[in-house]
This record gives sequence, structure tokens and C-alpha cells, in this order.
Amino acid sequence: MIELQDVTLQYGNREILDGISLTIEDNKIKAILGPSGVGKSTILKLILGLIKPNCGRIFIDGTDITSLKESQLYPIRRKMGIVFQGNALFDSMTISENMGFFLRENLKLSEEETELRVQEQIAFAGLEGYEDALPENLSGGMKKRVAIGRALIFNPNMILFDEPTAGLDPVSSKKILGLISSLRHKNNLGAVIVTHIIDDVFQVADSVAVLYKGKIIFDGETESLHDSTHPFIQSILSDKILEQ
Amino acid sequence: MARPVIGTFLTNANLSMKEFFLTMQEFFLFSVRAFITIPKIKRYWRDFLDQAKIAGTDSLPIVLVSSISIGALLAVEVGNLLEDFGAKTMLGRSTALSVIRELGPLIMGLMLSARYGSRNGAELGAMKISEQIDALRAFGTDPIAKLVMPRLTAALIVFIPLTAIADFAGLYSAALLAEHYHKIDPGIFWNAVFPRLVFKDFVVGFLKAPVFAIIITLVSCFNGFIAQGGTAGVGRSTIKGIVVSSGLILVANFYVSKLVLENM
Repeated sequence: MIELQDVTLQYGNREILDGISLTIEDNKIKAILGPSGVGKSTILKLILGLIKPNCGRIFIDGTDITSLKESQLYPIRRKMGIVFQGNALFDSMTISENMGFFLRENLKLSEEETELRVQEQIAFAGLEGYEDALPENLSGGMKKRVAIGRALIFNPNMILFDEPTAGLDPVSSKKILGLISSLRHKNNLGAVIVTHIIDDVFQVADSVAVLYKGKIIFDGETESLHDSTHPFIQSILSDKILEQ
Repeated sequence: MARPVIGTFLTNANLSMKEFFLTMQEFFLFSVRAFITIPKIKRYWRDFLDQAKIAGTDSLPIVLVSSISIGALLAVEVGNLLEDFGAKTMLGRSTALSVIRELGPLIMGLMLSARYGSRNGAELGAMKISEQIDALRAFGTDPIAKLVMPRLTAALIVFIPLTAIADFAGLYSAALLAEHYHKIDPGIFWNAVFPRLVFKDFVVGFLKAPVFAIIITLVSCFNGFIAQGGTAGVGRSTIKGIVVSSGLILVANFYVSKLVLENM
């Protein structure tokens, strides 16, 4: 379980997050919805310990990660996979090397076993035949599927998606959302999805937190979002896609 | 009216100083971590070999071109000067000292700063802005051990033979020019080179190679790691890396010579 308690983050004089509290349960899909540039992706980086909050605490399965050193964070991070907004695939590595990167770096598996698990993920992502291709030779949707495969390969408990459908065509978006839904059913995985597309939330999320001007203005079941009377939520429900 | 202007100036100066010292502190910690991770070299053996090829074999052409040019230029200019004093036979001695102690390592350092340093800055800067460095951390890999340490160790190791090659190429081109331009017999030229060179001359020259390797690698990699602001930011950080490392090379060149010559 992931728990953020009164987390505040500032860059210089600019306040990004203003005392937000959030609970993300295992085996559930939680969406964090908000306009672009409001600090949604920052929440994912805070959860992974890639950045530290100015104040507040972040608990991962009961461990407060805000006071941990970088080397102490590695075992915590291994519980979570992340799919970055721009995919962050290692562009000098092939698809197969990208997928197997974590296994080769962190687990002492035989090369045969590593290769077997890579092939499984390549098949899951529907990328057979592209093992030796470089990321630059793939389409946006294919890159996203590689990033998902790379995040899943070490069997994390939770997977973090940063704008999983941003910049994709409707067909690719549908495939990615289908892939995310199937994760929970097949692998019993929890997920956090950061997005500014409200349709994505209704398609895959069990619960949603709405981030607006550095604060959580709604946190509850996805369907109960319709019951909110907050003017911003009312406006996003009618506009569907959020812009600052 | 003057007071608010002075106040704003002082506030900005204070913020700039604070930012400078914070960056220096960050650079110091970054450098310490790069050295501390050297024992992990076995794990990143392939990265080390890749970097050794980039810093060494691939840099040979530019090192040879620059050292040959400098050797030839020195032979022509110094030879003309010595001819005025009737001391043309001293050309080998003066060229050898200039090339081995100073110009060989210095020109090599500046060329490698432009070639190897810019590559490091641009590559790591691009990785930073495309979140690849964050991805490494998220997947439990220390980006300094994976990306910086192999570059540092490769430079530390290959810059020494590169210096030797640069010295030899510079001296050889000087000997050719001495023979064909100043009509100095090669035997006289080389006889003025080797018997007169002492251990100290080689220490001055070869000590600069690891010093320059540290400066070039750490400055360029650090600037890549702190790149921000999209592709323009990568450009800025790359330029900053080259400018700062080139300046530091010039300063370090002077102090290494001074320290060794005064203490040996």
C-alpha cells in the first residue's frame, strides 16, 4: 500500500504540491487526474523516491521512504514498475535489451532464464519480430508497450503509469488501456495512472484523485466523481480533456 | 530610487552566490560518488570497454592531427628563431621539452575536452531530459556507477597512452620538418632530444593525462546530469561542460608544471 501524508513540494518559490494526502491500495487501479503541469507526474517521482518532498511523509508498505538513502530505496523501488510519459526507453539498446535490463542489472538469473522472460514480455506486448529493433524504429504505441513490458518483467506489486495514452492515436490508446485492464485481471497488479484524459479514468480506474492547484479536491470511487459539486470537476466532466 | 536598485542587485548577487556554492557542493558529491563506485568496474566491464574505445581508439585521429600540426609548427618557428642565434642544433632539445612537458598534453587535453567531453555532455544531457537517468534509478541502477564511472576509468587509463602517442607524433613531425625545412640531420635532432630529457620532464607531461581525464569526464558528465530545459538545455549544458573543462585544463596545466618542476 502507498500512503502520502501531508506532502508538500516546492521548486524555488513555486509550490507544486500543497499538503496532499493520498492512499493507494494494493490490487486496485487508482487514477490521479488533473490539468497539465499541475504536478501529477511529480507524485509518481515522489512515490519512487526519485525526488524528496519538502515536508510530509510517504509510506510504501509501511516504510517511510522520505528519510531513506538512495541505496536503501532500491529494494523499495523493486516493488514498483514505472512507465514514463515519454517511455524513457534506453535508446542505445535494442527492444530485447531494454526489456531485460532490470533482470541483467539486478537479478542473478542465467542468460537462458532472462531470455525466456524477455520473450514472454515481448509476446505479451505483441512485439514478436522486433526484438533486435532500436526504440527509434518503433511507433509511439509500440514504444509504450515496450515500456510496459520493461516495467512488468520483474513482477512488481504495483505499476505506475505517467500519461499512458498521451500522444497516441485512438487505436493505440485503446490497446494500451486494454493492456492496463488485463494486468489486474491476469497478474493481480495494482496501478497508479496519472492522466489528464477523463475517459481513461472511467475506462480503467477503480478510484480517482483530482489534483488542482496543488491540492487534492476529490478522492473517491470513480463513479462518485459525477456526484461532486466542485466547479472544476463539473467543468472537466463536461470538457473531458483537461487543459490548464 | 538608488536603494531599491542596490537592494535588488545585492539580493540577486546573494542568490547567484548561493546557487554557485550549492552547485559546487553537488559537483563535489557527484565526483566523490564517481570515484567510490570504481570497485564496481567488473559489473560494468562492457560499458568500460565501450568508453575506452570512444575515448581512446576513436580519438586517435584528432590527437594525431593536432600533435603533428603543433610539432611541425614548433619546428618551423623555433628553428627560425634558433637560426638567428646560430643554435639550430638545439632544435631537438627545445621542441622535445615543449612537446613532452607542455604542448603535447595540453593540445591533447583541449582536443579531448572538445571531442570526448562534448559527447559525454550531449549524451548524458539527452538521457537526462528524456528521463532515461530517472528510469535507471527507478529500476534500481546507480546512474553514476553505470554512466559516469566507466567513462572516468576509461579516460584515466587511455589518456596516458594517448599522451605518449601525441608526444611521439609531435616529435616525429618536428624531426621531419627539421630535416626537410631546416636541413638538420635527423641524427643531430634526435641526439638533442633523448640524452637530454630527464625523468622530471616525463613526469610533468604524463601526470597531466590523468588530471585532464578527471577534469574532462567529471565536468562534462556533471553538466549532462544537471541538464534541463529540453534540447536547448542539452546544448547549453554541453557548451558549459566544454568551456569549463577547457578553462580548468589550462589552469591545471600551469599548476601541474609548476608543482612538479619546483618539487622534483
